[in-house]
Amino acid sequence: MLDLMTAEFNFDASSTAPSKEELLARVAEGDQSAFGELYDQIAPRVLGLVKRVLIDHAQSEEVTQEIFLEIWQTASRYESQRGGASTWIMTMAHRRAIDRIRSSQAGRDRDTKIGIRDLAVPYDHVAETVEVKIEHERVAKAMSRLTELQRQAVSLSYFSGYSHREVADHLHIPLGTVKTRLRDGLIRLRDELGVGS
Amino acid sequence: MSGTDKPDNDLAGNGSTDNPADLAGAYALHALSADEAAEYERYLTWSEEARVEAAELSDTAVALSLSVAPVQPSSGLKASLMAQLATTPQLAPLTTAADSVKPAGSAAPTDAPPAATPFGSASSRVAEAAPASSDDKGSAAGQGSAGEKGSAGNQGSAAERAQRRWFQRPAGYLVAAAAAAALFVGGTFAGQALYGDPSQDFAQVQAASLAEINAAPDSQRASTQTLEGQDATLVWSGELGLSAIIVDDLPALGDDQDYQLWYIGSSGPVSAGTFDSDGSGTAWRVLDGTMSAGDAVGVTVEPAGGSEQPTTDPIVAIQS
Repeated sequence: MLDLMTAEFNFDASSTAPSKEELLARVAEGDQSAFGELYDQIAPRVLGLVKRVLIDHAQSEEVTQEIFLEIWQTASRYESQRGGASTWIMTMAHRRAIDRIRSSQAGRDRDTKIGIRDLAVPYDHVAETVEVKIEHERVAKAMSRLTELQRQAVSLSYFSGYSHREVADHLHIPLGTVKTRLRDGLIRLRDELGVGS
Repeated sequence: MSGTDKPDNDLAGNGSTDNPADLAGAYALHALSADEAAEYERYLTWSEEARVEAAELSDTAVALSLSVAPVQPSSGLKASLMAQLATTPQLAPLTTAADSVKPAGSAAPTDAPPAATPFGSASSRVAEAAPASSDDKGSAAGQGSAGEKGSAGNQGSAAERAQRRWFQRPAGYLVAAAAAAALFVGGTFAGQALYGDPSQDFAQVQAASLAEINAAPDSQRASTQTLEGQDATLVWSGELGLSAIIVDDLPALGDDQDYQLWYIGSSGPVSAGTFDSDGSGTAWRVLDGTMSAGDAVGVTVEPAGGSEQPTTDPIVAIQS
């Protein structure tokens, strides 16, 4: 079910480079150079996502370090039949970023920074590669098919790291409504992005 | 605008009348508390349909991450990670089908660290024990090549000139491109528990020291390039009096030569150990001895085992 995404994720890797799945299998056997290669391939993606959530660069590098140590420690638990290596890693990355945010100090620091951030420019302006632009447009298009309310709830939780209770508080709506919006919103995105089959 | 939205008429929902299936979206977005997530996972164990939905929505969340612009990590991050691998145990592969049902996080780490050495496996030989003795042939060859380099006398690039005979100048001249960024990388390190264990080998001491420098509250770094254009980073802590140098793609030297590190302060260069590179990836070495405020750090190519004073021009010099 993940073939599509995996293919896109590897879009930026040269065809001769070993796949992330192969590298992860070697990492599970203690291969440090494979770990280095995997890091080179995906660390900017991981840091990009973590920084999108945490805002603070130094803290994001710290969390990225924790994520890669977890990859090293748990590579043997990755099951390729359950999805691509990138999916496994990015899911772990997002969860780690959220864990950090839920620690109260990090949350307070972040709230200050979020206050400063221009919310109208949600993407870091580093040089965007072609594939990032393509993905960005694809996701933006899919997001545009959500209702404004769904989009708001999904963005607040995925990119800003709000829990569903915080989303409810923030938007002054009942928790049950938030649950529905998040689920319906993701289902719509799934269908628009062609995830699953 | 809300034409395709389910009318929000289930607003009565206040979180208590739960259908656990409603949590699918929040679960995929990591928007549940630990207790709520555990509750949802219990529900997943008995619903195949829910498991499929959970997997698909989780993949959908990952698709959102693809739209975020990548951000290049600092070069020290990779070196710090690589340094910790040798002392970070890995989970053993799961062998039975029964085991694979366990969530990944619940298994205990194996306690056998893999036998591995950091890149640039360092030599702890010191300069005083240098040439003459065991390796006359190697030393002679080393001196020969050092002589050639020293007497070449070409003008070279500005960068080359700037680094030439760096050890005879006041440290202040070396500043060049050393843009110091007070960048704090790292915080909690898995390797810390190893401190003070007398049985640990050199690689572990090195890895622990590098982690310690990175984690120090006053950790700082400065970057420049070697004569060959490789990125070189010095990371140091004044409080600890420690520094480490990290060089990308540093070529491996032959058996008859080593890279030698120098602290250069007001009283001239002091050897800070030798190392070699394995020629692939990032080479790094925590310097021996104590760093003083304002010291510069230089790297020369010396005969195997090191020299008492630099005999060649530095391939790189960085001002702290």
